[in-house]
Amino acid sequence: MEQYIGASLMLLFATGIAGGMVLMTSLLGPKKSFADKDEPFECGESQIVSPHQRFSVKFYLVAVLFILFDIEAVFLFPWAILFKKLGMFGFIEMFLFLLILGVGLLYVWKKGGLDWE
Amino acid sequence: MALFMDHLISWMIAIPFLGIIILAFVREEEKIRWIAFGVTIVELLLSLILWGNFDFAQQDMQFVERVVWMSTFNIQYAVGVDGISILLVALTALLCPLCVLCSWTGIKTRVRVYLSLILLVEGAMVVVFTALDLFLFFMLWEVTMIPMYFMIILWGGPNRIAAGLKFVLYSLTGSLLLLVGILGLYLNGGHTYDLLVLTEQTYTSNQQFWLFLAFFLAFAIKMPMVPFHTWLPDAHSEAPTAGSVLLAGVLLKMGGYGFLRFCLPMFPEASADFAPSILWLSVIAIIYGGYIALAQSDLKKLVAYSSVSHMGFVTLGIFVFNSQGIQGAVLQMFNHGITTAALFISVGILYDRTHSREISDYGGLHKPMPKFVAFFFLFSIAAFGLPGTCNFIGEFLVLVGTSYVSLAMVLISIGGILLAAAYMLWMLQRVVLGEPATEVAKMLPDLSKRELATLIPLGVLVLSIGLYPGPLMETMDASVIHLIQQTIGPEVTELSQLQFGP
Amino acid sequence: MIPAPIVDLVSLSPVIVLSLFAMGVLILDLFIGKDKTVLVFLSLLGLFLAAVSSLAKGTGPIYSFSNSYVVDTFSIFLTFVFAISSALAIMLSVSYNKEQGIKIGEYYSIILFCTVGMIVLASSADLIMIFLGIEIVSISLYILAGIRRTEKRSNEAALKYFLLGAFASGFLLYGMALVYGATGTTHLKDIASVLASSEFKTSPILLMGVVLLVVGFGFKVASVPFHMWAPDVYQGSATPVTAFMSVGPKAAVFAAFFRIFVEGIPNISDYWDTILCIVAVITMFVGNLGAIIQDNMKRLLAYSSISHAGYILVALIAKNSLGMSSLLFYMLAYAFMSFGAFAIIIILDKQNGDNLEVKDYAGLGFKHPVIAVCMSIFLLSLGGLPPFAGFVGKFYIFSAAVKEGYITLVVLGVLNSAISFYYYLRVIVYMYMKEPEGDYQVQPSLAPFSLLVIGIAVFGTIELGIFPGPVISWTMN
Repeated sequence: MEQYIGASLMLLFATGIAGGMVLMTSLLGPKKSFADKDEPFECGESQIVSPHQRFSVKFYLVAVLFILFDIEAVFLFPWAILFKKLGMFGFIEMFLFLLILGVGLLYVWKKGGLDWE
Repeated sequence: MALFMDHLISWMIAIPFLGIIILAFVREEEKIRWIAFGVTIVELLLSLILWGNFDFAQQDMQFVERVVWMSTFNIQYAVGVDGISILLVALTALLCPLCVLCSWTGIKTRVRVYLSLILLVEGAMVVVFTALDLFLFFMLWEVTMIPMYFMIILWGGPNRIAAGLKFVLYSLTGSLLLLVGILGLYLNGGHTYDLLVLTEQTYTSNQQFWLFLAFFLAFAIKMPMVPFHTWLPDAHSEAPTAGSVLLAGVLLKMGGYGFLRFCLPMFPEASADFAPSILWLSVIAIIYGGYIALAQSDLKKLVAYSSVSHMGFVTLGIFVFNSQGIQGAVLQMFNHGITTAALFISVGILYDRTHSREISDYGGLHKPMPKFVAFFFLFSIAAFGLPGTCNFIGEFLVLVGTSYVSLAMVLISIGGILLAAAYMLWMLQRVVLGEPATEVAKMLPDLSKRELATLIPLGVLVLSIGLYPGPLMETMDASVIHLIQQTIGPEVTELSQLQFGP
Repeated sequence: MIPAPIVDLVSLSPVIVLSLFAMGVLILDLFIGKDKTVLVFLSLLGLFLAAVSSLAKGTGPIYSFSNSYVVDTFSIFLTFVFAISSALAIMLSVSYNKEQGIKIGEYYSIILFCTVGMIVLASSADLIMIFLGIEIVSISLYILAGIRRTEKRSNEAALKYFLLGAFASGFLLYGMALVYGATGTTHLKDIASVLASSEFKTSPILLMGVVLLVVGFGFKVASVPFHMWAPDVYQGSATPVTAFMSVGPKAAVFAAFFRIFVEGIPNISDYWDTILCIVAVITMFVGNLGAIIQDNMKRLLAYSSISHAGYILVALIAKNSLGMSSLLFYMLAYAFMSFGAFAIIIILDKQNGDNLEVKDYAGLGFKHPVIAVCMSIFLLSLGGLPPFAGFVGKFYIFSAAVKEGYITLVVLGVLNSAISFYYYLRVIVYMYMKEPEGDYQVQPSLAPFSLLVIGIAVFGTIELGIFPGPVISWTMN
């Protein structure tokens, strides 16, 4: 059982903080009521519209690029922590990895994928 | 000279293909025809040299050449001839120049392609009849089908597409069964495609049963035996003249050759088991073919159905397993090649003039075309085996061979010969005698010199083989005895009991 | 200090070379104008170098990356097949892309990436590597299928392919997971040795996994009953892409299929043998019977490609070394004949997508005899007629199966060959027999690259048909 103590504490803290935040906002926050605010979802889009509404493809592009570089960060963190233990091998590997990503970035950049307009 | 004599068969195989290459570079139509004719004549001369140097006393393969082709599968390029195959090679070489001649004026479009196809069939057939390696055999067996198909669909009669398709589908079904059989043989016979090695092996009854069945069906379709014959009348009647000649004269012989080369020596037990039913099928084919031929109003169809009937004699002779029967069958194959080719060429000559194959469109030809009628008459009576013509010898020998097995079959088969006499004479009466049916038929020109040159060799052969078949018999004697020893045991030594000629 | 793993870069050299070239093409495309010819040459150079570099390790099986990557004759030969088929596809695309207005430089780079995935697939000896390879290949193909962005059919093709491909990947991954769950390893060699002891053989999890693998691979190679996407996708995609899809990636997936089933789980072949036999037979029948009623050339070849998957499955079922070598030989032979046929479709294709019906080929035999003869050669070879490559390939596959005693299967396969002639001959009949409807309009666009492809294909089809010896002995190693 002992090895689960840390995890249980983590779980406890996480639920505590999340629940606490919800509780605190409902207790402390100001409460004004108007039409838009009372809609079940509050995300800047109208409730009742034609389902064939189009999104600009740029949203998807940004989302995909975000995921790409997000995952890059996911790989970078553990590497940074183990940097010394991995030594030269780890350095070269990560260098290659970043190089390949760099090629992708260069491609996206030149193609204009980063320009909004 | 050694290079020439040692590789005689390879030269025979190469020359038609070289001819095709030469044809590809010639522009003028007249020249193309002459070159094609020259190539086929060279091939004929080579086959005569082959025959001249053939040792009749030997039973083994002669002029054997072997080169490794695909070592992984033990596949070789191996060719050679024995007394049976040399006759069929000679028949092929004999008919091809006539094919070129008989299409001299009849074929006006795409002459080069047409003649190339004839040469392709010739080259492929020589390989089929000489191959000592099953893979090589199968490969070229398939190759013969393509030029025939194109000949039918490009130059054929009005119903050519359906006829061509029927021909291909039947042939393919047969050859794919053959492929399965060959693979089975390869695996059960020691992983080799060498014909001679495979023939030496013995196979268990079960193996024999299945392998025999695969080979038998393939050859029966090619032959064609009743009930696998339905492609033949269509293909024959729709093909152009040279196509019909090649089909009837040479391609059908592949079936009979296959029986002799594969089924009998390799699967003697299964052959013996199946023989009774095959013999009855043959008898049925003889009667049925003749009976249907009687009802035909189309000249080419009539000849086609007479082929079915004649091929019945071939299978009858093969599966009685005695020397008379088999010699008769081989002779019958050879003679049928000559007479049927001659008949198809004659019909082609008429067709070139009137563009009709209907019997009712003719009549009274003896007035405008006396020379033609003389030849046509000779070939027609040869087709029903009048004594003195070549077919008589073959059919007679087959019947003698059959008489050791079953008298009933002999009697029924004689009925078939009578039927043949009936349909041939009736056809002659309607075409040659009486009054011309149409105005056109009155004015038909008689044979030209070229047509005479086509028919005279055939006429000479019909009579000379009929009167003196000795050389043909001698050629195959040793091989036939050897074949029978392989089939029913080594104790058989008798030569054919009947001697022909002086 | 964590010890550095052993990295065998030489084994990986074709993958590395090709990836570098793919990235190079991608970047170079940004800096050149509208003329993409230089990319073509660069891609061809990359494929050539990749093929050559695959020979670096010799022929013996060499395992690297903790036994998950293997270089052996199988993978080297297939690398060559992939290089050839990708090169042919690229050469075919040059004039096609110009005519169709596809000015996308990434096209070539994606083909190269796809080839990388194929090489990975052919060389992997590990379930995870196989999945990785399949995904590289599939994602590239989803993009390639939709490369004609303005074309409705192309969009449909891409979407259909993507949805069904994603499903198939899911099945495949689930199957792999279950196999892993049952055996405790993802290495094919280890799976084989675990299964050598009988206790795991009947585990229901394992059997479920195998069934899911069959389903997943069945989708990827378009075998019946998982073939529904193939005709639509093949018809909708740009023709060079169709040609490419029907050869290289299919061969690669078959390679992985073969590796898993014959190297990984041969010990439980009692269980998958029957399933695959049934799949092979219905694949052949549905493919061939389906092709008979097609009027569109691309659909016709799509169905024919389905039926060919059936023949290749027969080689897989044979499970012996002969089967492996026949599989390899057939892949190469099929690459030549299929690309040849597609090349001719492409040079007759017009901008507005006309001339794809069988009846548009009427009269071709007289107007363009050389093209018609080449087409006849390819079609007859696809049907399996000697002396062409298709015949030797089928002969080889059927020998392998007969050797293992699958007589019924072979007889059915042979019967299917006969059926297939019906529709191949139909095209030939149209070319030589039928008069064209209206004026004869087909004007082939004879770009040098397309002619080169046809030349190579004719040469390969005939060469492999008459002198297959050297190639066969290479595959037998």
